Amino acid sequence: MAAYSLDKALILDRLGDDEEIFTMMVDMYLQDVENNCTSLSSLLAAGDQPSLQREAHTIKGLLATFADDEGTAMAAALEMRVKMGDLSDLAPAIAALQARLREVSVVLQAAIAG
Amino acid sequence: MNTVLIIDDSEINLTLIRALVLKLGDCDPVVFDNPLKAIEWCRNNEPDMVIVDYMMPDMDGLQFISAFRALRGRNEIPVIMVTANDQKDVRYEALMGGANDFLNKPIDRAEFSARTRNLLSLRSAQRYLADRAKHLEAMVAERTGEIREREKELIFRISRAAEFRDPETGAHIQRMAYYSQIIARNLGMDEKQQRLILEAAPMHDVGKIGIPDYILLKPGKLLHEEFEIMKGHASLGYELLKDSNSEIISAGAEIAKTHHEKYDGSGYPQQLSGKAIPIFGRIVAVADVFDALTSERPYKKAWALEDACMFLEDGRGKHFDPMCVEAFLAGWDEVIKIRQRFQDEIAPQI
Repeated sequence: MAAYSLDKALILDRLGDDEEIFTMMVDMYLQDVENNCTSLSSLLAAGDQPSLQREAHTIKGLLATFADDEGTAMAAALEMRVKMGDLSDLAPAIAALQARLREVSVVLQAAIAG
Repeated sequence: MNTVLIIDDSEINLTLIRALVLKLGDCDPVVFDNPLKAIEWCRNNEPDMVIVDYMMPDMDGLQFISAFRALRGRNEIPVIMVTANDQKDVRYEALMGGANDFLNKPIDRAEFSARTRNLLSLRSAQRYLADRAKHLEAMVAERTGEIREREKELIFRISRAAEFRDPETGAHIQRMAYYSQIIARNLGMDEKQQRLILEAAPMHDVGKIGIPDYILLKPGKLLHEEFEIMKGHASLGYELLKDSNSEIISAGAEIAKTHHEKYDGSGYPQQLSGKAIPIFGRIVAVADVFDALTSERPYKKAWALEDACMFLEDGRGKHFDPMCVEAFLAGWDEVIKIRQRFQDEIAPQI
């Protein structure tokens, strides 16, 4: 899978070239990313299908906001699997998505630091 | 200022949409991360536009729209649902359920601005039409009120014109009109009917305009033939007022024709009896006779109040409808106030 690369121009274009909103979004992503990762694990452990589907859906939207097409596709695939009731052997997919969320987090952190 | 309600369980989306709404200008965003709380807010608050996410816990976007549209007065407020582009089935269902437009995720500011501005324009047009309809309604009510006031004034003046040719006075007209209203109220008639009889009763004797002076102004007792002519004032009044489009004048026509009918059928001009006499005629019969008895005239002294009451009591079921007598006596305190408020004055001579 290709590493995440920040396409700030595309994101800013969607946000109407509003740096303020962009910075705010990044801040919120960085604040929430660990909560998202924790939720994925705990919901899988609890076998809570509806909540896990919603969490995958939320992460799909989150990654789409930061123009991460591959991460979005991973979250979409997870959402679909959970929706179909396939909760078996989801741990690798969830771990991969968690890794992607953290990878995006690192890139975003570097972007605002730089 | 437009109130824009935003509902999304994702805090980052809520923050993004709120920021974009603020960028629109002239908008006040109200945000909820819980659709159930948002619906509670909507019960007492009216947003100008709603932006709602599709996938939320407890209540999804479709259920929210359905609950929102079910609230009174919320069926025309624009609603935008935020969905992923591939959720076509959801979109169709949302359209059927009352969504007006959609926003794709990830949200694009240009698309967001265009769609929200369009729907806020629609809302503004709705408000303009509603305000205009209210304004027109108020204008019509105001003009109708003015016409009604003019109509009342004309009726009073016409009634006074008839009274000028009669020993009775303007104060008599007012007293008997208010007595009629008291009876109507105590009979349980609604406020509209009470007001109608108050305004129409003054016309009861307008037919006296057509009675010759030598009869109308005769100080002594009328001869049989003279009384027969005098009785004609009831029908004359009816002829003068009938076939009007005005509710008040039509009621006046009925009162003019029936206020001398008696409950036992011995009155005039039609010898109607009991409930065949229209209720306004039965009411005015009591009010008019009571005031005539208790007023001083050039040809008679005023009766004592107790004597006039006894006359009414004695006339129950004969001259008067018993219910109307009862309703009149039940309002005795008000009757006394009306008597004090409208005192006789010397009628101008013409």
